[in-house]
Amino acid sequence: MDLDIIIRKIDSLSPVSVTGSKVMEIISNPESSLGEIVDVIKYDQGLTANLLRLCNSAYFGLRVKVESISQAVAYLGLTKVAGVVMMASLSKNLTAAQKGYDLNEGELWKYAVSSALIVQSLAEKRNLGNIPCLFTSALLKDIGKVILSTHIRDAFQQIIIKVQKEGLTFLEAEKEVLGIDHAELGAMVAEKWRFSPEMVFIIRNHHDPMKILIGDDLSIPIIYLADTVCMMVGIGGGADGLAYRYYQEVMDRLDFTELDLQKTIADFWEKNKSVEEMINISGGH
Amino acid sequence: MEIVVGVGDMKVSNNPEAVIITYALGSCIGVAIYDPFVKVGGVLHYMLPESSLDPGKAGKNPFMFGDTGIPLLFKETYKYGATKNRLKVMVLGGAQILDQGGLFNIGNRNHTILRKMFWKNNVTASFEDVGGVVNRTLKLEVKTGEALLKISGNESRKIPWI
Repeated sequence: MDLDIIIRKIDSLSPVSVTGSKVMEIISNPESSLGEIVDVIKYDQGLTANLLRLCNSAYFGLRVKVESISQAVAYLGLTKVAGVVMMASLSKNLTAAQKGYDLNEGELWKYAVSSALIVQSLAEKRNLGNIPCLFTSALLKDIGKVILSTHIRDAFQQIIIKVQKEGLTFLEAEKEVLGIDHAELGAMVAEKWRFSPEMVFIIRNHHDPMKILIGDDLSIPIIYLADTVCMMVGIGGGADGLAYRYYQEVMDRLDFTELDLQKTIADFWEKNKSVEEMINISGGH
Repeated sequence: MEIVVGVGDMKVSNNPEAVIITYALGSCIGVAIYDPFVKVGGVLHYMLPESSLDPGKAGKNPFMFGDTGIPLLFKETYKYGATKNRLKVMVLGGAQILDQGGLFNIGNRNHTILRKMFWKNNVTASFEDVGGVVNRTLKLEVKTGEALLKISGNESRKIPWI
């Protein structure tokens, strides 16, 4: 497989809008204040309309109808509004069917939004500081699949044999057969779109949490955990299924017990309907 | 007519036009039952083994849990004239992430609770496809009891269970 052909396809993705890129810059830059987001998005009518619909969706359960950006910020806080802006800006590349991964239209987007929302709630509970950055990384972590999908379809038999007979993860099999995996490719997209080095790092290593288990950074463990929950309840589960490696050390590092895991699954189910609504609004349905 | 069983959900029907479908069973378990005599079928898609985790949630939705969902599935088909001795039973799902062992292996625990309950109540499944690292989707045709299993990435195949 000619790796260049795959990598060149990064350019075929719809670029992030000007507003989306500016918001991303604010989120990525520790020097800037999240409040700057309001000034950026208020001039983008389409984005603002979409943002307000999302803020008024049942998921957030607001009792009043939010009619302006400043109201949205007042009721939901900047962190959540930043997440919603990223959702509204990034959906267009992630809603199509990805046949190589056996994902129907909307399934990859549902996976992205679900894992981002789980990340947000886990990160809030732990008072992590960089939630919009984590949220955005969770949304985009599988963008590499969009590029790799057609190649996966062509090489599926080779890949699946490596998974079934040799015990490789789907990611490892992608790398062996195609020369690159969806996490690495996703990181290359993030670089091209000038995401912060932190986000690029998270996207590259979202299936490889052991790399950063030393130290205080909980970004990748949290993203990995949310991904684990999604896979277990069948969200975004396509041809790759659950063929990724499980690391108990990550759960231990997060002091996350099996009871916590079950409770997270149960809590997520409770929100499932309102999450569906958000997915439909943000995906343009 | 398609009747979709969501995650943490159950549907029973004797409508000959109906096809009962449940998508993307990961670690969740899908239980399908069918009485070929009265032609009633039902599917349960539960996520977690035991309702003691959160009795409040189980009260609101007993289909989330194996121990509360399984008895309701059987009872619901009895309302349509099904009898336990005629019911065919199929069990799918319970997958796990690679190397997911012990208590965190919820797929395995979902299956264990089912086996315990079946053993206690003298129920035998005529077809089981459980475990592994795959996603499964099930379609059950109410008129005939014909069932199709699709493992993601593969074509659907007919299940020999009736």
